[in-house]
Amino acid sequence: MTESLYKVITKEELSQFGYALRETGTIYAPVKTSKESHSFKQVDTLTEADLEYHRTMIPPKKFFISPKETIFTFNKEKEEYNETPAVNEPLVLFGVHPCDINALNLLAKVYLESFTDKYYSERRENTTIIGISCTPDEYCFCKSTGTDYAREGFELFLHDIGDRYLVRVGSLKGYNLLQKHASLFREVTEEDLSLYRQAEKKRLASFTKSLEMSGLQDMLDMSYNSPIWEEYGEKCLCCGSCNLVCPRCRCYDVQDYIDLNLNTGQRERKWYSCMLKEHGLVAGGHNFRATSAERLRNRVNCKGSLKEDMTNCVGCGRCSAYCPAGIDYVEILQKIRGDIE
Amino acid sequence: MSKPKLGIFSLTGCGGDQLQILNMEDQLLDLVSRFDIVDFQEGSSRKVDGDIDIAFVEGTVSTEHDLKKLKEIRARSNVLIALGNCAIEGCIQSMRNGETTLSERLKDVYGVEEGFFDAKLSKPITEYVDVEFSIPGCPVEKEETLRGITSLLHGDSPPYYSYPVCVECKLNEYPCVIVEEGKPCLGPLIRAGCNARCPSLGLDCIGCRGPVEGAENFAAEYQMLLDKGYTKQDIMNRLRVFCGELGDDFLGGGDDE
Repeated sequence: MTESLYKVITKEELSQFGYALRETGTIYAPVKTSKESHSFKQVDTLTEADLEYHRTMIPPKKFFISPKETIFTFNKEKEEYNETPAVNEPLVLFGVHPCDINALNLLAKVYLESFTDKYYSERRENTTIIGISCTPDEYCFCKSTGTDYAREGFELFLHDIGDRYLVRVGSLKGYNLLQKHASLFREVTEEDLSLYRQAEKKRLASFTKSLEMSGLQDMLDMSYNSPIWEEYGEKCLCCGSCNLVCPRCRCYDVQDYIDLNLNTGQRERKWYSCMLKEHGLVAGGHNFRATSAERLRNRVNCKGSLKEDMTNCVGCGRCSAYCPAGIDYVEILQKIRGDIE
Repeated sequence: MSKPKLGIFSLTGCGGDQLQILNMEDQLLDLVSRFDIVDFQEGSSRKVDGDIDIAFVEGTVSTEHDLKKLKEIRARSNVLIALGNCAIEGCIQSMRNGETTLSERLKDVYGVEEGFFDAKLSKPITEYVDVEFSIPGCPVEKEETLRGITSLLHGDSPPYYSYPVCVECKLNEYPCVIVEEGKPCLGPLIRAGCNARCPSLGLDCIGCRGPVEGAENFAAEYQMLLDKGYTKQDIMNRLRVFCGELGDDFLGGGDDE
């Protein structure tokens, strides 16, 4: 019999697996940080994590492209510059949802294919991703975007099927992890399969938000002059939150700073947002997207466009959940579709 | 090459921005050694007349004496920088501008309607003279001020923040006090650069750094706060604390009940 790439681990034994994973790297898992927010934080044991979370405010892309970081320091007199090392330690991201894994897969294409970002590349190499299944809340619409299932981009994926997890292997590294900790896992039984079927059925039935994607990009293209942009532009605070919490947004800003000695200094980069006024500002003072309506239209078009056969949006619901003005991204697109008034 | 001449001046205000420069204890000696300091009231009694390469001015114009002093500084200075929110937007001293007159205030406070010293309605220096740059804050941030001065020494424009506090909340992963707690946070309107200090403590931004330049979202913030149940008076009072002198552009959202 060929060895199955599916295994089962009980919830009781998961904590032991978590403990054992400390050999692989420093573990980061979703931890509740406030009334409505979770964050991937360093944990010693999985008991500190909340594996039934809905979403972290800041997506796990923070581990690959840091929100703010110094890329290099320089010394003019010595004519030298020192790049900041990308990796300090191997990481284990435990409990990543399918939407976020799919988002990372697209980021990997952007950051690794044409021009390799060494930070992204080295950090991804040094990271072990353990995915976990989830139950949608009122903001989730990943089923509509086709990103509620992760095919690749993880080492192991845990499907919650009651008192145990069905474990799926996503990479050779994941396979080796299973081998290394083989005593914690057992083969899949008929009962496990039956539980998996039930769990999937229940999960798929619990989506309350949906967005029809078919033809959406065409409708967006033809809605350039729609009054919708003004309508939502007036509500928009132009605060940039939607971009900064988006797992697929990838704009960053780069600035150089010199020290008071006028000799040494550093180059810094940090996440940026197309909803901020200066994003479209070019030399000479022209701004391609000077108004909030224009910026909102640009963002929704970017998110609604196809990239690698998927939209630029993974349906995680963050931009709506964390918009201070309460703007609902799905509602905008439903209006574009004419599904709602 | 001789050292650039630097003047640091105060008009009416608490003097907190000058104090922030003095508070840069680790860099202060290095900083002052790079300039010929011609005026720095809180740091030295030395005063030298003549042209100034870089002048920082904090405070509002609140007396005729302030105005005369400001015009003299402008005439002497190659580059003039508004230091802190009094100088840029009038700050707390201008919070009732447009609401009460100077006479009414003099009567309330001193019992006379006019002629108390040479008081004028408090206005930012930008109301009377052109400034090349500004460094916001109440008080200014030490790091930002140092970077500004360093940039000028290097021949660059001082860096400035064109985006609001929300960006810093997200970069630091601070939970949003508007979304999670419905607090009347002004973060979406207000210049970043404080590293979201108040939200980092779970407090809502009260706007001490003034609005992002060219911000177009006042009406949206106003409507959002109305929808959350705050009254027009609550919202206007809050917006006025640091930004009263901005008048209709800023407070225009309050016209509709």
